[in-house]
Amino acid sequence: MDENEAFEYVKRTLKNEKITPFHLDELDIVKSIESCINCGLCINHCPVVASVGLDRFSGPRSIAVELSRSSPEFWATIDKIYLCTGCGTCREVCPKNVNIPEIVNIVRANIFEHRRDLVPKGLMLVKEIIDKHERAFEPWEDPAEKIESRDMRLERLNLPFVPDVVKENAKVLFYPGCQAEERAQEVREAAKVILDYFDVDFTLLDEFQCCSLPSHLMGDAKTARDLASKLKKKVKKLGVKKVVTTCAGCTSNLTDLSERDNWGIPAYHLLEFLVNEIGFNRLANALKNPDIETEVHVSVHDPCHLIRHTSRQVMDHALNILRIMPGVRVSESIAHDSCCGGGGMVSYHSPDVANAVVQENLEALEKTGAERLVTPCPLCTAQLENNLFKSGSSIEVDDLTVFIAQRLAKKE
Amino acid sequence: MTTSEFDVVVIGGGSTGTAVARDCAMRGYRTLLLERDDIASATVGTCAGMISSGLKYRDEPDIMEMCSKEVVHWNRIARHLIMKNPILAPLLDLSDAASDSSYMDSYSEHVGEREVPPMMFLTPDASLEIEPMLHPDVIASVYYEEYFIDPFRLCLLQAIDARNHGAQIRTYCEVINFEVNNNDEIEEVVFYNRISGATESVKTQVVVNATGPWAQKVAKSVGDELPIRLNKGAHVIFDRRIVNVGITVKAIDGRWIYLFPHENTTLLGTTALDTWEDPDTLVASFDEIEYLLQSMETVLPSIREARIIRTMTGVRPLVPEWKVPEGKVTRGYQIVDHSETGGKKGLISFLGGKLVMCRHMAEAVTDIVGKKLGKEVPCTTHETPLPGNEDDVDIIALSKEYDISLHALERMRARRGTEMVKVLAHTKEHPEWKTTICTCEPVIEAEIRVAIRDEFPQTLNDIRRRIRLGTGPCQGTFCTYKAAGILAEELSLSGDDFLVDILDFRAERWKGIRQSMRGEQLAQEELAQGMYACVGNLDQSDVDYDLKPWEEGI
Amino acid sequence: MDIEADLVVIGGGMAGLVAGTIAAEAGLNVVVIRKGQSATAYSSGAVDVIGYLPLASDPFSSPEEGLFALSRLYPLHPYSVIGYDESIQPEKILDVIVERTRDTVSWLKAHLEGTLAPVKGKFDSNIHPITILGTTKPTCLIQKTMDSGDLNERDDSVLLFVGISGYADFNSSAAAQTYLEDRVVSGSSPQKVAHCVLQVMPFGKPYNISSIELARHLDHAGSIEPIAEQLKKHIEQVGATHIAFPPIMGIRNAMKNKLKLEEMTGTTVFELLGFPPSIPGQRLQKSLETIFVKAGGKLLLGHEAISYTRDGALLKSITAKSPRREIKIDAKAFLLATGKYIGGGISGNKNGLRETLFDIMPVTGDYHSALDIVPSRSTSTLSISPVGQPIQSCGLSVDPRFRPVTEEGLEWAENLFAAGAILAGYNYAVEKSGLGVAATSGFNAAKNAIELIKEVA
Repeated sequence: MDENEAFEYVKRTLKNEKITPFHLDELDIVKSIESCINCGLCINHCPVVASVGLDRFSGPRSIAVELSRSSPEFWATIDKIYLCTGCGTCREVCPKNVNIPEIVNIVRANIFEHRRDLVPKGLMLVKEIIDKHERAFEPWEDPAEKIESRDMRLERLNLPFVPDVVKENAKVLFYPGCQAEERAQEVREAAKVILDYFDVDFTLLDEFQCCSLPSHLMGDAKTARDLASKLKKKVKKLGVKKVVTTCAGCTSNLTDLSERDNWGIPAYHLLEFLVNEIGFNRLANALKNPDIETEVHVSVHDPCHLIRHTSRQVMDHALNILRIMPGVRVSESIAHDSCCGGGGMVSYHSPDVANAVVQENLEALEKTGAERLVTPCPLCTAQLENNLFKSGSSIEVDDLTVFIAQRLAKKE
Repeated sequence: MTTSEFDVVVIGGGSTGTAVARDCAMRGYRTLLLERDDIASATVGTCAGMISSGLKYRDEPDIMEMCSKEVVHWNRIARHLIMKNPILAPLLDLSDAASDSSYMDSYSEHVGEREVPPMMFLTPDASLEIEPMLHPDVIASVYYEEYFIDPFRLCLLQAIDARNHGAQIRTYCEVINFEVNNNDEIEEVVFYNRISGATESVKTQVVVNATGPWAQKVAKSVGDELPIRLNKGAHVIFDRRIVNVGITVKAIDGRWIYLFPHENTTLLGTTALDTWEDPDTLVASFDEIEYLLQSMETVLPSIREARIIRTMTGVRPLVPEWKVPEGKVTRGYQIVDHSETGGKKGLISFLGGKLVMCRHMAEAVTDIVGKKLGKEVPCTTHETPLPGNEDDVDIIALSKEYDISLHALERMRARRGTEMVKVLAHTKEHPEWKTTICTCEPVIEAEIRVAIRDEFPQTLNDIRRRIRLGTGPCQGTFCTYKAAGILAEELSLSGDDFLVDILDFRAERWKGIRQSMRGEQLAQEELAQGMYACVGNLDQSDVDYDLKPWEEGI
Repeated sequence: MDIEADLVVIGGGMAGLVAGTIAAEAGLNVVVIRKGQSATAYSSGAVDVIGYLPLASDPFSSPEEGLFALSRLYPLHPYSVIGYDESIQPEKILDVIVERTRDTVSWLKAHLEGTLAPVKGKFDSNIHPITILGTTKPTCLIQKTMDSGDLNERDDSVLLFVGISGYADFNSSAAAQTYLEDRVVSGSSPQKVAHCVLQVMPFGKPYNISSIELARHLDHAGSIEPIAEQLKKHIEQVGATHIAFPPIMGIRNAMKNKLKLEEMTGTTVFELLGFPPSIPGQRLQKSLETIFVKAGGKLLLGHEAISYTRDGALLKSITAKSPRREIKIDAKAFLLATGKYIGGGISGNKNGLRETLFDIMPVTGDYHSALDIVPSRSTSTLSISPVGQPIQSCGLSVDPRFRPVTEEGLEWAENLFAAGAILAGYNYAVEKSGLGVAATSGFNAAKNAIELIKEVA
């Protein structure tokens, strides 16, 4: 056998023995499991364990100490590994910050590569959509209907229409994320309203595409890398200085991609942009005379991808912005930072688990007496809205971007 | 004193002893195995579990051939216990490649029967792709494959198979004396039952001394000389599979060192130090740990960042060749029939040997036993699967049927094969036994109870050997007290015994952890102290705790 | 977004949160940053002040007695650090040490009232609660749910240990057996001990039941009544007067559940001390956080201090990183409460130890440099013994104001203080002094920090 044949032989043996090597850029994450001392504090805080029990989901401790250590047996984790919502509560409470959410993604990637037959069908369906349309939702078949839906939302929410802009060398790329692009169009529109209001020099993508987080979460590492590489080209071509998004998941994922793939430009959530770039003074001015007259009592939900995958400070910004809005009363729910169950792609194959997780949020929400819930994440918005509706609650849910846009004073 | 009669008494419950007991029992001889501690509690429990193809013994082609054939047998009779490890020997220097190339040819002679490839060369890029942790300056690597086995389960299953064929297996029975008649023939074996405290004796004509490092001591107790060369070997164990394939490299003194993924840990070994100390007191030294890390570091620079969870130390019972370095001592075995060397008739001793050839050793000695008894029967140990290893197991189906996690079942399969269904059946009547007790492995309560009931452990440490309780990264921090409670229930132990069991197991784990304390183990140990001392207050408990041999002195 | 504060506390366990609360209550702008929970969060939930002298085998009857002994024999113990104060006469030093600790304990007790973890206990006597192993240990404050009432005073008390089927963290039969044997030897009450196992299935499965699901289950209304019903027949069978429960009686409703059970069964019900990560520890951690935030402090979670800037003798700022952001925090004073090996304040490789943020020289229990100690050589051959593990006594040496010192014995920075497990000179596992040292050092270090800040202002 010559060296090439030898190499092929070896790769086949590794496959047969179910040995799945870690890639070099996964080593940091894999090494973080070395710090685990098996204390189990993560189990006591995991929202999935709390909602479905330790038997159904053996929890972050088992992921760190058991499921991630023996590569020939990755396939045997399929009954547990897909139930993680990726909220990162485990990592946040862990004395060693073991990077469990990312380890979950690595294990899923190994299963995806070597035992695709064992990947939940719900995830494979999403993959099909992404493969076909480069976004995580089926796009509208009829573009006219899409525009009609958009206009209906604008009217219902009393928002002006700001036209799309696509140009090179703008300062900011506004990236709405798949959900706002294809479903919750009001979020996309509201963001443009806000950016336009503050005279931000922004552009959209010429050809929208998914940021790759869903592919990453289901273990489709190859598609994730392909999408990331395509996105980088588009972003570089536009020549922007930063990326601003209204989606929590996109915020953390774009930050990762920007660093890993050397984009040279940072990515922020709109809330961070408003506080850091526009500043509270301008915001206060803009919000002090809202068109909306009535008092409203709201509560806030913290998206995990912001507080635990980006920074807790981002939701401090949200609260501070809400507090400068006249007529807005904020009551904090005791479960404000408890995962809504919408993450980790869990609802695509185990909706019962996702919906069990959110019960905690619903109960706490009722106790606040608030009439509306605001949250800066489309996934959280959808998950909470659906479940509030099913539970017969009258609480309505707004994306925070929309809530802010509605309360901007009319420009002179 | 109670007496009964056996055709053969085997002393020593390691790989050789249990193999002999199995072969004797399968051939119909009335067999008793006496082990002073627990099955696989000595040398075989401290090795890397490699069923060597004989690669190192290229100067002894007969041994290489024997080893290769034995590997074929193991694959046939122990399918669930065996795993194949691909191995790379990275070369940083052309001179490494030039020397020792003869071993490649000798190795490659027998590869066909073992279903492994001949030794191959891989390019540096290919090497790095397979094992990204390798030193970037690697110029090529040699690739080969070896088989590995769980030594504890191997010994236990051999013992159980012996028992299934009528043998008596008695652990915690230390042989203290022999009754010898005027013709220098052995008539009785006298032993101390460490559990009951009673002295017992049995009648027999034939005694097989398979006690490894203690072979000389046993021979002396009957007045015979048996020179032996004892050599200490230590391993360092990492908390997970830190490499994808095995890595072998030459150490600072030219010896070959290896890094093998093993179940859910990685073993780095081994050292070689001639020793005259009591084997029970030996622990790995700072030098040995450094020697191993330093050697592996040359091809795997990041090894120092990996988390060491413990060390383990054992003693090789080498054939007494003198004035040669340990590496040059034959790895073949010797059978000493004392009747032919002017010693006691009926006593047969082993010297040397390796895990891979234990069945072969047993066959050879059992043939002699048969001759002595006048009942010669052909050997069938090479074709009869060990209990549980007759067939494959459908884990996914079992998981559905019993509602137990796939991973827990997969790990159980590696230990029990088809016998695992017996463990699972208990959970129908006792669903609470599906609870995970050792979260690192994982091990469920049902398996612990079955191990206690059927596999004769006396302590948590014995249970550890049966089912890998406490062998994961936390080294039993959490499962110790839970398993102790179960053991106390099953054996109706007193509260004092319950606490002593906990202290004993912590002590046994500490024996290995202490020597390599650093990095993340500091946090692990702070946690263990926080639990057992700070909350449990066990440091102030006044139970009868016996100091262990390695705890005496500094 | 960068922030400014008067005092930044790095570390959010007992030491950090007590220190932060003291400062916030004094009107300062305080930020506590925390990268993860730690020893406080998984403690048993009881607050040890001092149980044993190092190497001793008789417990102190009270924290007061212990502190007198400790301060005489171990003048460099964290409890013995009292600060400069000309008004303290030398012969009064021991009294001061005892008083300061007493004050901390009273403060803690008062603040925990009305939280999820109200405590009981007195400075002038140690309590000996029972653990899940059936052993006992001396401690100062226990959570009220752990109050066993007159268990040891009555001649006729009968104790029933209650386990839950499928909940492996507590084995009621082993605990009962162990506790009974200890009672028989000591001759003290109760002399009758029994055990039973209940069926509680938060998710309908009698296996793999975790502490957290039991505690959350019991937080729901109507969950305690079926348990009381199951218990009644066991109580009747053995004539139980007292019930020992594993520490899972609820997160919010533990006290309510205890009272309801007592009402329905006519017995005294109490929680045992449990192993990490225990629910009472979680209650304590949450309560300390609530107290701090209520006092006006800012708790910033998920942030790890990674670097600092200084200007001469003063520490100016630290940079803290969250998963994907970094912020700079400027402050007038800083308090390091990052814990030991679990918390990550001290780390070690094969050659020695180091303090992980400022690289201040750590010392051993007898105040030699720990930079070059081989960890394995700072251990005892015995895993669990009154000697403990010497490596647990390593940490930072502080001046009388709780400021960490350099090799020269001078403060590393004028405005850097340290408290909690990062301190050297004590071994909490064998002394049974963990949360007490954390609270006392946090309390006093904060007072020193406040004084400094107010001086400068």
